Amino acid sequence: MSAALRPLPKLGPAEILRIVASMTVACLAGAAMLGAVFMATDRYRAAAALRGERAAIRDMLALDSTATLVEVKQFLAPERRQVVYRAAPLGAEGAPGHEVTFTLDGRPAGERDVAGGTPLAAGLVPLGRMFVAKRAGVPAGFVVEGESRGFKKRIRMFVALRPDFSIADMRVIEHEEDPGLGAEVATPWFRGQFVDRSADEVAKLDVTKDPMPEDWRAALLAMAKRSPGGSARHAALLPRERAKPIYAVTGATISSRAVTDGVRATVDHFRRRWALLEPHLGGLR
Amino acid sequence: MSTVLLPGPAPTARQLILNGIFAENPVFRLALSLCPAVAVTTTVANGLLLGVAVLLVQVLSSVTVTLVRGFIHPRVRIPVYTIIIAVWVSAIDMTLAAFTPALYAQVGLYVKLIVAFAIIISRLEVFASRQPLVPSFFDGLGMGLGFLFALVVIGAMRELLGAGSLAGIPLAPGKPLLFFALPAGGFFSIALLMALFNWVERRTTGKSSAGGAGGTHGV
Amino acid sequence: MASRLRPWMPCRPGRPGAATRAARTAPAALSLAVLLAAALAVLAAAGVQADTRLLSARVVTPDRLALRFSAPLERTDPANFRFTTAQAPDVPIAVTAVRRAAGDRVVLTLGQKLSGSEHYRLEIADPPLSRDVRPSTWALLITVLLSSALINNFVFTRYLGLCIFFGVSKKRDTSLGMGATFTMVMVFTGMVSWAIDSFVLRLLHLSFLQILVFIGTVAFVVQFLDTMLRKTHPGLHKRFGIYLMLITTNCIILAVPLLNAQGSAGPLESFALALGSGGGFALALFLMSCARERTELARVPAPFQGLPIAFALAGLFALAFMGFSGLDFFR
Repeated sequence: MSAALRPLPKLGPAEILRIVASMTVACLAGAAMLGAVFMATDRYRAAAALRGERAAIRDMLALDSTATLVEVKQFLAPERRQVVYRAAPLGAEGAPGHEVTFTLDGRPAGERDVAGGTPLAAGLVPLGRMFVAKRAGVPAGFVVEGESRGFKKRIRMFVALRPDFSIADMRVIEHEEDPGLGAEVATPWFRGQFVDRSADEVAKLDVTKDPMPEDWRAALLAMAKRSPGGSARHAALLPRERAKPIYAVTGATISSRAVTDGVRATVDHFRRRWALLEPHLGGLR
Repeated sequence: MSTVLLPGPAPTARQLILNGIFAENPVFRLALSLCPAVAVTTTVANGLLLGVAVLLVQVLSSVTVTLVRGFIHPRVRIPVYTIIIAVWVSAIDMTLAAFTPALYAQVGLYVKLIVAFAIIISRLEVFASRQPLVPSFFDGLGMGLGFLFALVVIGAMRELLGAGSLAGIPLAPGKPLLFFALPAGGFFSIALLMALFNWVERRTTGKSSAGGAGGTHGV
Repeated sequence: MASRLRPWMPCRPGRPGAATRAARTAPAALSLAVLLAAALAVLAAAGVQADTRLLSARVVTPDRLALRFSAPLERTDPANFRFTTAQAPDVPIAVTAVRRAAGDRVVLTLGQKLSGSEHYRLEIADPPLSRDVRPSTWALLITVLLSSALINNFVFTRYLGLCIFFGVSKKRDTSLGMGATFTMVMVFTGMVSWAIDSFVLRLLHLSFLQILVFIGTVAFVVQFLDTMLRKTHPGLHKRFGIYLMLITTNCIILAVPLLNAQGSAGPLESFALALGSGGGFALALFLMSCARERTELARVPAPFQGLPIAFALAGLFALAFMGFSGLDFFR
């Protein structure tokens, strides 16, 4: 390091040219190599992301391999005051899809089949995604992406719903809460509290700071671990607990409330949207 | 940083690796590259992932530098080293993102920041630019392993105390000392482990070189 | 920015043709008078048929929205208003009550709790008006600034720049100089890399070159600042130049562009993040140097002397900074 502080001899123009040339070559070689690595790995990254999403959805809805998954992306067309839904089989590149458009007030404004890879109309703003699991053409469950403002940053979650809109499962997929405190909202015992509550119960769901009963916590953990009898213990305690609010994580009431609010809004919005969408998505198998 | 630079017979591979892990441990002894040592060590798995990334970058950069140093103009030595490190870091960053997406989501930013690790460029400058290929390889391996070792030790301590588990396997019920999983706990863990290293050294060598870790700050 | 956007106001021009013809034929004084009259006529016409304009819309937590109009609003039944979040423009939030207040103000009560930091959209059917309701630019700037300086302090909660943090926090003078230099370099590199990232890398799909390009940018900016400072302010350069050379490859400098790129931040947010992070780092350095000057005089157990005790101190500061998390000015 001390060499850098000593005054250096003046460089001739030839030297400078050589330095510039070698730096340029080094940068270009580096960029070329990175381009190659990018092209080699990007495919795997996309595939891994898709695989993770698909596995999470199947796991949350307890689906077998006979079910098919349809991904519905929602967009806003601000100038036209319209909402556009584009549905296509999840992860099938180039498969044909279906596009349904509604006005902001929920009146149908057109629908069309789109070939795979059809670009979106200009000016569409993505709003969110939902996944519909189908078995023999009938919806077997839904997974809806939702978000909420947490203690520090946004909390993103997947809410899995049964066809009657009761909650099948919930996962926090992205958060930046404090480890040990707010981050506990992603743990099985916290998210397990939402499972099996009906849509109407969720709409009125509140959060309490009361301590969670130990037997309920043990049952939630057993259910999450899929240990034998876990579901039975959960089912036995559910009648007592389903009328009660969500027990907040100790020391992280704001994070707990953020997740609960997020689940409530996600379920509410999805029910309204699905009521519009359902008649139009029959053709997708 | 004196032992390996003394003139004399070239050090053996074993010496170089042990030097990296203990005598010149990049975290506990040289006190370089501390950021990830606190940031990603809430669990063993996170520490392991970043440790492996650093190990790869260190070894690959050391080898690259020994191969191309003949072509590098001494005036632009450091910028060229930086480019070499940046290329390897980007490559490993993309590879980890593709093949270990779940872990990468937690340590992503710190993998990118390996490019600014003082330990890597200082090893290139003091060792790989002067020594032949094989010792450079083992020096990089030793330093990388030393870093990996430090991250795993800190991660194990914090996970055990903070979450009551080790490498994801629950060992104790509940959370014994939640404090160690919190940001502040990371600083305290390193303080305790550094003090332990100092204490062990005082015991074994008998001389009081306490605070030896305090003097050598890299840039 | 968008909160400043006024709804489009219909404004009928007067009769410019007549005015200009008069101005060409008449003497200068007369033409001026005619122009003035024409302008007055336009203003008067606009005043007569001016629509009611929505001057401001502000969230009053927990569940109210205060509106201010330029003239009294005729229809104040809840069905005249449509209020949605930016995330769900197709699911209106129920307006449960509308109350007139003094000075052409109207207060809406809504069926759910609102947050002052969220983005909403208000649409009125009669007269047709719409407006984005979101925190003002200043509020956004200050939020990002304080959150990056305190809540997500680079040193104490993100653990960045620790090497340099423990290296230069021994003396108070050094720490102040270093903090100022860092902040300056972070703002410069943050803005330059933001421009490169959003106007070059993203457009050309070259995001995989991020690290290489950002490192290059940092080196370039540091070199540039060094030269500029030496030529223009030799005194300042004498004081801060030594720190400048130490920063070229430092994770704390590099983290700003990386975080901005990760969060797809706009220019203003990038600026606030860079300034806030730099300020937070300077604050951390200053606090730490004050504490470390005292430990020099204290009796520290031998194994803890030097860095270990500094780490323990940093741990205490980190614990204190945890108190900032959850700080929100608009909740």
